Amino acid sequence: MSTLLQDIEAQISGIKTGVTKQNVGTVREIGDGVAKIEGLSDAMLNEMLDFGNGVIGLALNLEETEVGAIILGDYTGISEGQEVRTTGKLLQVPVGKALLGRVVNALGQPLDGKGPVTSDTFYPVEKIAPGIIKRQPVSQPVQTGIMAIDAMIPIGRGQRELIIGDRSTGKTTIGIDTIISQARLNRAAEAAKNTGYRPLYCIYVAIGQKQSNVARVMAVLEEAGATPYTIIVSASASDSATNQYLAPFAGCAMGEWFMDNAMDALIIYDDLSKHAVAYRQVSLVLKRPSGREAYPGDVFYLHSRLLERSARVSEKYGNGSLTGLPIIETQAGDVSAYIPTNVISITDGQIYLETDLFYQGIRPAISVGLSVSRVGSAAQIKAMKQVAGRVKLDLAQFRELAAFAQFGSDLDAKTQAQLERGKRIVEVFKQPQYNPMPVEVQAATLWTVQNGLMDDVAVDKIKDFQFKLSDYLASRKSALMEKIRNEKALSDSLIADLKAAVIEFKQTYK
Amino acid sequence: MKISKQARRDARQLLRACMANAVLDDTRVRQAVQSVIRDRPRGYLAVLTQFYRLVRLETARRTARVESATPLSPQFQSQLQAELSRKYGAGLSFFFVENPALLGGLRIQVGGDVYNGSVQGRLAALQECF
Repeated sequence: MSTLLQDIEAQISGIKTGVTKQNVGTVREIGDGVAKIEGLSDAMLNEMLDFGNGVIGLALNLEETEVGAIILGDYTGISEGQEVRTTGKLLQVPVGKALLGRVVNALGQPLDGKGPVTSDTFYPVEKIAPGIIKRQPVSQPVQTGIMAIDAMIPIGRGQRELIIGDRSTGKTTIGIDTIISQARLNRAAEAAKNTGYRPLYCIYVAIGQKQSNVARVMAVLEEAGATPYTIIVSASASDSATNQYLAPFAGCAMGEWFMDNAMDALIIYDDLSKHAVAYRQVSLVLKRPSGREAYPGDVFYLHSRLLERSARVSEKYGNGSLTGLPIIETQAGDVSAYIPTNVISITDGQIYLETDLFYQGIRPAISVGLSVSRVGSAAQIKAMKQVAGRVKLDLAQFRELAAFAQFGSDLDAKTQAQLERGKRIVEVFKQPQYNPMPVEVQAATLWTVQNGLMDDVAVDKIKDFQFKLSDYLASRKSALMEKIRNEKALSDSLIADLKAAVIEFKQTYK
Repeated sequence: MKISKQARRDARQLLRACMANAVLDDTRVRQAVQSVIRDRPRGYLAVLTQFYRLVRLETARRTARVESATPLSPQFQSQLQAELSRKYGAGLSFFFVENPALLGGLRIQVGGDVYNGSVQGRLAALQECF
């Protein structure tokens, strides 16, 4: 016994109250949110640096004699000669379900005045994307509730689909509509206690946006009851370029948590053009060499490493997914500019919005010819595939014929019919904003127009007809709609029922 | 002053030439500066400015500054010197400074590495915890 005590005593006396080694440096230069620090010989790339008084920096340039760091937050209190310490930690943000319903900044700090974020899990902002082994192909749909997208450019869970277009063509609206649609589906599944449905959580990252825009988005989401399923990460135009640069990575880390924990998430980067501009500013003040349009050489890698983190992981790793919807704003419809071409090549397809269509009243102003989804068709439900298979082709033929018919010559009956059908399809795809449509209603409407049951309705009455038909189907034929929703395919008996329902409706329609 | 890439490269080369056994040799440094001033090659001022900076950083890297609240005994000082030389290699220059603000304990800085075992340091760490 005594030897045991002696052993313990010896061990206790052997313990020294360790003096930890710290690595320090001194600020040589400070300005534009960037500090040059001498010393810091042990600093790691992307390591958090402690400037004291709660000011944090991020080491971005490791040079021979100094370290270039960006300051996160207020840099006006930092002076030349000040001591800086390494922390040994990479930049991290809080993640988890506690963030749902919150508005946070690029560091995960709350901006909504609802008190601190109570999360004990943190994820590094920069993380390597899941590898080939961890992934599986995209096969489950993201129902955006926008008929033109769900029918012709379907998006799957884990896909990266670019939304591209000029200013004020409805890019953000597509994102917001998608969030609202997810909230409705999530809530419906919760109400029906449908455990088979995997809820899709949404993250909206506002980069360089006006504060008023972010407030408007918040108000719309609140009104639609989508906030309990949504995280908003905001780095507005008045935030420093460093925060704007970090915001999408922070949002992505929050999304990755859902993916890693066998859940599904959707992230909207609004928008990556402004992100590239913020990164250009950071790079130029760090005196990195500039390339085309003064963007740094690694601007492609900046976006590719961000978007590669969207994935659908395999069953073995939890079957979670992170769907990415980056937004790019073009200048005068120029998709061949530097940043748009970069992001187009990284993503799995793009939704191209056109100003001309927008002002013609075709909203959402999706250009069917230029929009494509490279992997989403595998994720489309069978009912949608059955009715939407030929729509893209019909629309393309309609566009060609419409151009030809402008010359005003007499047309044969077949061409005339094709033109009339085309006009109706275009009308059917028009949809007001913040008004997503359930997939079964979309399928029923498309089936109706594809099978000529709308041919005897005047083109200017189509919208009214469609609205009333949807209403009729949802209220009077809810059992049929539920069947389509559950079976996910249009069987012969369902088609017969649907036909009977539409004919019945047409008799009452005025 | 704008220091060109060439000047930086020359200054680095000069510094390397002044090293003897990975330690900066004072005589060589003086000789190098004198010879540059005598010959006045193109952009010599920029080279010397950069060289001065590199020598300053190199000297700081090889300097151990030991701060204590009370004077240290010569025996303890030599023990400390031996320990630090073992860890960082020979050629360290030592400065022993009295700093009553530390309250107690030692603060040792060798280049960018700081070992803060002072009472002040611990109080500061404690303050950060709250």
